[in-house]
Amino acid sequence: MAKARLVPGLSAQTRYADAATATIAVRSDELFEHAAGVLDVTQIEAVHAMRVATRRLRSVLEFYEPCLNPDQLEPVLEQVCELADVLGQRRDPDVELQALAAFAAAASEAERPGIERFIASTSQQQQQANAELSQMLEQIAADDLRGRLAALIAPPPEPVAAPEAAVDPEPSGQPGDDAATEPAADAPVPAKSGWLRRR
Amino acid sequence: MKARKVKQLDPDGTLADNAQRVVAVRIDELYDFVPAVLNPKRVKRLHEMRIAAKRLRYVLEVTSSACFGPYALTATKRVRELQDLLGEIHDCDIQLPRVAQIRAELSADAVTELGRRAGGAADLDPALASSLPHSEDWAGLAALEHYLTVRRGLLYDRFISVWQDIERSAMRARLEYAIAERPSLTTSDAEPAEII
Repeated sequence: MAKARLVPGLSAQTRYADAATATIAVRSDELFEHAAGVLDVTQIEAVHAMRVATRRLRSVLEFYEPCLNPDQLEPVLEQVCELADVLGQRRDPDVELQALAAFAAAASEAERPGIERFIASTSQQQQQANAELSQMLEQIAADDLRGRLAALIAPPPEPVAAPEAAVDPEPSGQPGDDAATEPAADAPVPAKSGWLRRR
Repeated sequence: MKARKVKQLDPDGTLADNAQRVVAVRIDELYDFVPAVLNPKRVKRLHEMRIAAKRLRYVLEVTSSACFGPYALTATKRVRELQDLLGEIHDCDIQLPRVAQIRAELSADAVTELGRRAGGAADLDPALASSLPHSEDWAGLAALEHYLTVRRGLLYDRFISVWQDIERSAMRARLEYAIAERPSLTTSDAEPAEII
């Protein structure tokens, strides 16, 4: 099983929301790096590696849930869970077939037909699961799961200054009363889509 | 099985303080399956315990070396061992009914064929039961079923033994202590988190 990559700079004192950004970025990259070759049923470790990466990503999304925008997180987490399920459905027959091959090799001639029948049934499950995985991979590409994961941890955009023309030439406050037209420097930034939640 | 909601998490708080709250809840979830799983027939509970172990393991993987005392890493390994063992038991629990189902389907085919051979006879000639369809499959399917049954029993015994070790070593108390500890600043500043 592939080792999880280190998350640089993570420490006990790291702000929870900052740790969310750093960790989700690393785990998202890992997921997509392991996507190559997963539909090849002769290379079963590829599915395993992607499945583990999906589990790790799911786990960190759940762990950092309070730091993330719930409206963005929910559909992303749902799709990551679906992907994990589909990868699991492919992985189970992969492992089973490997164990059955060893069992068949140790069996007597008389026992082999029954074991081969069971192997055929498991192979059918594997093919079906592979077809579902293929569809799922197309779906996550079409839905831009990678982009939505990036958006989930995107830093807040720079505040945009109001264009000159939009400024009211006759502010309602008294002339020279800056407080009437300018927000306080320490005013809270309203939460927007794509922002990490701040309290 | 849905994970329990963890209260009082604060995005502006430290990773360690928040992780401590999450891990505490995940420890409770894991231990709540005892004593139910001490009965080998509680297949569903054993499966759910595996999921609880997985949840605890993954949050510890992310946080143990960066946030907690050294025992948290030891506990991560023990929880992973437990999860793997429960996973192997689950594999047997999934395969056994599938073998039984295939045997039942083949048996139904054979009975249908024997009924056809009997025609409308008043009694059944034993010779008609010879060479029924799928007769060559029985030995292998029976061997597989016996193998899975006995293997499941052995794995379950191992699970009980691992669980007893976990209890004897006071993993829960030590892990709860470890998640309240914080690594020294020099250590955490110098090294990135080590994740299994």
